[in-house]
Amino acid sequence: MTRRTFSRIPITLRVALAMGGLMILLGLVASQQVLRSLSRLHDDRLREIARLHVGGLSVALGPLALHKDVWEIYDTLDRARTASDGQRMLFTVVADDRNRVLAASDPLRAPIDSDATRFSEDASDLAALTASGGAPQVRVRAPLLVAGRRVGQIVTEIDVGDLVAERRRVSLFLLLANAAATVLLACAGYVLVARMLKPVTLLTQHMDSAGGAPGRIPEAEIPESDTELARLLRRFNTMTGAIEARTEAERRLAERERFVSLGRLSSSLAHEINNPLGGLLNTADTIRTYAGRPEVVQSSAELLQRGLLHLKDVSRAILEENRLDRSGTPLRPSDFDDLKLLFEPEATRKAQSLDWTIRADGAALATLPAAPLRQIVLNLLLNASAAAPEGGRIGLDVTAQEDAIELAITDDGPGLGARDLDRLMSSVPVAPGGGVGLRLVHDLVAGLGGRIRHHREAGRTALVVRLPSGRA
Amino acid sequence: MRRRQVIAAFAASAALSAPPILRAQTRFRLALTPVFLDNDARVIEQLRAALSEGTGQDIDLVQRRTYQEITGALLDGSVDAAWVCGYPFLQHKDQLSLLGVPVWRGRPLYRSYLIVSAGDAAERIEDLRGGMHAFSDPDSNSGFLVTASDLARMGETPDGFFSRTLFTWGHRNVVRAVAGGLVRSGSVDGYVWEALSVVEPDLVPRTRVIARSELLGFPPFAARTDRIGDADVAALQRALLGMNGTATGRAALDLLFLDRIAAPDLRLFDGIALRMAELGQDG
Repeated sequence: MTRRTFSRIPITLRVALAMGGLMILLGLVASQQVLRSLSRLHDDRLREIARLHVGGLSVALGPLALHKDVWEIYDTLDRARTASDGQRMLFTVVADDRNRVLAASDPLRAPIDSDATRFSEDASDLAALTASGGAPQVRVRAPLLVAGRRVGQIVTEIDVGDLVAERRRVSLFLLLANAAATVLLACAGYVLVARMLKPVTLLTQHMDSAGGAPGRIPEAEIPESDTELARLLRRFNTMTGAIEARTEAERRLAERERFVSLGRLSSSLAHEINNPLGGLLNTADTIRTYAGRPEVVQSSAELLQRGLLHLKDVSRAILEENRLDRSGTPLRPSDFDDLKLLFEPEATRKAQSLDWTIRADGAALATLPAAPLRQIVLNLLLNASAAAPEGGRIGLDVTAQEDAIELAITDDGPGLGARDLDRLMSSVPVAPGGGVGLRLVHDLVAGLGGRIRHHREAGRTALVVRLPSGRA
Repeated sequence: MRRRQVIAAFAASAALSAPPILRAQTRFRLALTPVFLDNDARVIEQLRAALSEGTGQDIDLVQRRTYQEITGALLDGSVDAAWVCGYPFLQHKDQLSLLGVPVWRGRPLYRSYLIVSAGDAAERIEDLRGGMHAFSDPDSNSGFLVTASDLARMGETPDGFFSRTLFTWGHRNVVRAVAGGLVRSGSVDGYVWEALSVVEPDLVPRTRVIARSELLGFPPFAARTDRIGDADVAALQRALLGMNGTATGRAALDLLFLDRIAAPDLRLFDGIALRMAELGQDG
C-alpha cells in the first residue's frame, strides 16, 4: 500500500525525497561519529582526572599502607578531600594487602578493619574507566605499590556529574546542530534536484496538455544548455510535430473518404441516371411523332416530368452528400430518404434486398447533426453491401430511445475480420494497406460520444451504433 | 618513572622525622610542641613577633611532629628553649628548668578531656570498652597520660581496654579523628578543645566531652638547666613574663586565648607527677 502510494508520487518529488533521505542518513552517520569521538574525548579526560587523583594519592599512601599507619592514611585522605579540587573526590577507602580497610575518608561508611571487597569489587581499573554509563559518579581502584610490591589498594569514588552533564549538553547540541544541518542539506538537495528535474516536469505538463494530446514546448522554456534533458525536450518537440503532421494527414484522408464513398456509388448512380434517360428520350420521340394527339403528348409530358424529377432528386442527393459545409445542420427524416436514394441503386445492382426502417420522428432525429450521421450510415451501408453476397439482405433500422438514437446496420455477409474490427471498435493504430472508412466511422462515433456494438447472430452481422441525444 | 621516584622520595621524607637542620647559631631557637593551635600560621607568626620584640633579637620558632623530637632537640642543644608538655618536662626535670607557665582563664592550669562523637551515647570511660581510641602523643599528659592512668586505676591498659589505639600527633587531630568517625573516643587537651570550639565551630561541636580530669599544670616553657644563666635565655624569660605588657605580646596572647605567662612554680605539676607514679614512672 505504502509502496503504491510512493510510486504515485511524481518522480521529481521522489528523487528530491530520496536526496533528503540520503542527507538524513549522512547526518545520522556523522552524528554517530562525532558522538563517538566526543565519548572517547570525555573518557580520556575522565581517566586523566582519575589518574591525577588516584595516581598521586596511591604514590603518597603506599608507604603508609605498608606501615599500616591508620592515622596518617586518614589524615592524607581527609586533607585531600578538603583540598581545593577535593570536591570531586567523594569517598576513598584504603585497604591492606588482605583487602581489610586501613582507613577511609568516611570511616562511618568503611570502618577500620572491615572488609573492603564491597567497595573494590565493582570498581573499574584506571585504564577501563568510562563515563558512558551516565552515572554522576564513578568508582576507580588502583593498587598501592612500594618498591614494586603490592601492599594494598585504593578505591575512590569520583564525582563526574559535571562531565556527564557537559557530555549530555554537548551531545544534545551536536545532535540539534546536525539535525539543523541535515534539514538544511535536505532542503537544499530538494531544491537543487527539483531545479535539475524542472525540464522533466515541463515535459510531463506538455505531455498531458490539451486533453491527452502532447503539446509543443515553447522554445523559450527549453534550457539553453545542451544537456541530455534539453536534447530530450527538443526531441519531444520534434516527435510532437510528427504526431501533429500524422493527425493532419489522417484528417485529410477522412475528408477524402466522403468522395471515396461517392466514388464507390458513382457507377450505380450513373446507371440510375442513364436508365431513365433512355426512357425519357423515347418519350421525347413519342411526343414528336404524335404531336397531333394531345392525349399522347399529355401522358408523355407527365412521364417526362416524373423522370426528370427523379433525376433532380438524385443529383440533389449527390450534391447534398458532396457539400463540404454541412456542420450545424440537424438531422431530418429526409436525410434518410437521400441516403436510400443514393444507396438503393448499389443494392439493386447487386440484387440485394434492403430492409429500411426509420422509427424515429423529426424531433428525435433533430438532436443529432446531419453530416456525421449521413457519413456513418453511408459508410456502414456500403460496408454491409460489400460484405453481403449477390442477392443477399441488408438492413437499416433506426430507433429513437429515451436519451439516444440507435442505428442498427445488418447484413448476411461472412462477418467482420479482426483487422476490420480493430479499425471500427478501437483506437489502435491502423494497419497499413486498408481503407480508412471504418476508422472514420469509429472517430465520428467517438466524436459524438457514442458507442458501437458488434454482434453476429444466425448468420447475420449486426453493428449497432448508439448515439446519445443532444449533440446537434 | 622519574616523577614517581620524586614523589616517593618526597613522601618518604615527610613520613620520617626530619633531621635537625644544621645552620649557624646566630638566632635564638624556641621549639614548640603541638600543645596548642599549632596549625595556625597566624598564631605562630604573632608569637614569633612578640618574642622577637621582647628579646630584642630574631627568634626562630621550630616545630616538630612529636613531643619526643622536641624534647630530644632541647636536651641535645639543637634548640635553646621549648614550649613543652608537663609530662616530658617531669620526665627530664633533672636536666630542665622552667621559664614560665601560661595562665589560661585566670589560672596556670588546664584539664584533659575525654571526648566522643556528638551522637555517641557513652557517658563515662567504662562505656568506651572495645572501641577505638585516639591519643595525641605518647609523651602528652592530657593526650595520653591522664587516660592511661585512669585506666590503670581500673586495672586496665589502653591496648587491653580499647580494641585499637592510635596516635594522631596533635590535639586537633584527635578532635578530627573523633569528629570524622575514624575512632570512637579520644584523649585531648581541654585548653585546645575549648580554643578550637571558638576557632573551628564546624569541627568541635561534632564531638562531646564525657569526662574532664582534675586541674593539672599548664604546659610550661622550659630550657636546659645548664643554660638558665645565659643572657639570651634570660632575655627570653623576661620577654615571656612581660608579654602581656606590650601590644604585640598582648595580640599574641589573645590569639592563644591566654591571659599571660606567669613565673614558674614547680608545684603546679604535682598532679601530673602523681599520675606518672600510678603508671610506675618516676615523676
